[in-house]
Amino acid sequence: MADDDGSGQGDPAAEELALGGVLEAEHAAVWGYGVVGAALPPDARLQAVLAENAHRDVRDRLAALLDERGVDAGPAEAAYALPFPVLSPVDAAALAATLESGVSAAWVALLDDAVDGEIRRLAARELGAAEVRAVDWRSAAGQTPTTTPFPGLPPA
Amino acid sequence: MSPAPAPRPPGFSRRTLLAGVAGVSGMVLLAACTGDDGGDGAAPTPEEADRLAEQLGVQEGVVAAYAAAAAADPALGDRVAVQSGQATEQLDRLRAAAPGATSSAPAQADGPPPGDDVQAWLRDRIGAAADAHESACADQVGGRAALLGSVAAGLRGQVTVLA
Repeated sequence: MADDDGSGQGDPAAEELALGGVLEAEHAAVWGYGVVGAALPPDARLQAVLAENAHRDVRDRLAALLDERGVDAGPAEAAYALPFPVLSPVDAAALAATLESGVSAAWVALLDDAVDGEIRRLAARELGAAEVRAVDWRSAAGQTPTTTPFPGLPPA
Repeated sequence: MSPAPAPRPPGFSRRTLLAGVAGVSGMVLLAACTGDDGGDGAAPTPEEADRLAEQLGVQEGVVAAYAAAAAADPALGDRVAVQSGQATEQLDRLRAAAPGATSSAPAQADGPPPGDDVQAWLRDRIGAAADAHESACADQVGGRAALLGSVAAGLRGQVTVLA
C-alpha cells in the first residue's frame, strides 16, 4: 500500500477504521433519506431522491474499497432510531441536514486519519458535496445561518 | 399461555442516527484540538508548511473579496455578512494551524470590474478558493488535512448561497 504523500507517519489501520466510520454514516444516510422522502410532498421529493442516490453510490464505493482491503465492514442496520419525530416537510429537511452533518463528521474524521492521498481527495470532495446539500436542507428547514464555516469539525 | 416478551418494534435498532455522529466528532475533537500524534502531532514537513502558508494567502483573498464585493454592492454585502464573518473565522483557524507562517501570496486587492455582476464575481473567487483548499488538503496529513478539507467544504456551501 503506497503512502503516496511520503510522510510515512500514518497508520493504515486507523484509516480503515475511519473508512468504516464513513460507511456506517452513509448506511444511516441512505436509510434516513427514505424517511425524508416519505415526509415530503411528491413534488419536493426529487432533491431527496438525488441525495439518497448520491449516498448510495458513495456507500457502495466505500464498501468495495474496504472489501478490496480485506476489511470486514459491518452491514447496515435494518433501521435506525430517528433523532426526532419526522412529521412534516420542515422536519424532513431538518433530518436531511442532520444526516449530512453526520456524514460530514465522518469524512472529517477520515481526513484526520487518512494515509493515502487518494482517500483524502475522495473525502474532501464528498465532504464538500455533503455541505452543499446541507446548505439547501438547512434553508428548507428554516435554519439560519444556512452555511457553516467548519463542516464536520467540532468547535475549536 | 404467558405471552412471549414483547418484540422490539420491528426494524428499529437501539442505535440512533446521532450516536455515530457524536462518536466521530469526539474522535476529531481529540485530534484537532490537542494535536495528538496521530499524524498532525508531528511538525509539518517544509513542503506541507509552504502549502499551508499558500492556503493562508488564498483565504486572505476570500476575506478581501468579501470586503471588495461589499464595497461595490452594499446590499449584497449585507446579505452575505454572515458568510463574510465565517470566512474570517476560517482564516483565523488556518492561522492558528500554521503558527509563524506568513502567506507567501499577497491577498487579492482587486475588486470586481465596474459594471460586472458582483455576486458572480464573488462566487467565482470563493469557488476557486474552495478548489485550492481541497487540492491542498490532499497534500496534508492529520488535523491540517481535516481543517483544510472542512474549510474547503464550508466555502462550497457559501458558493451555494451565492448561486
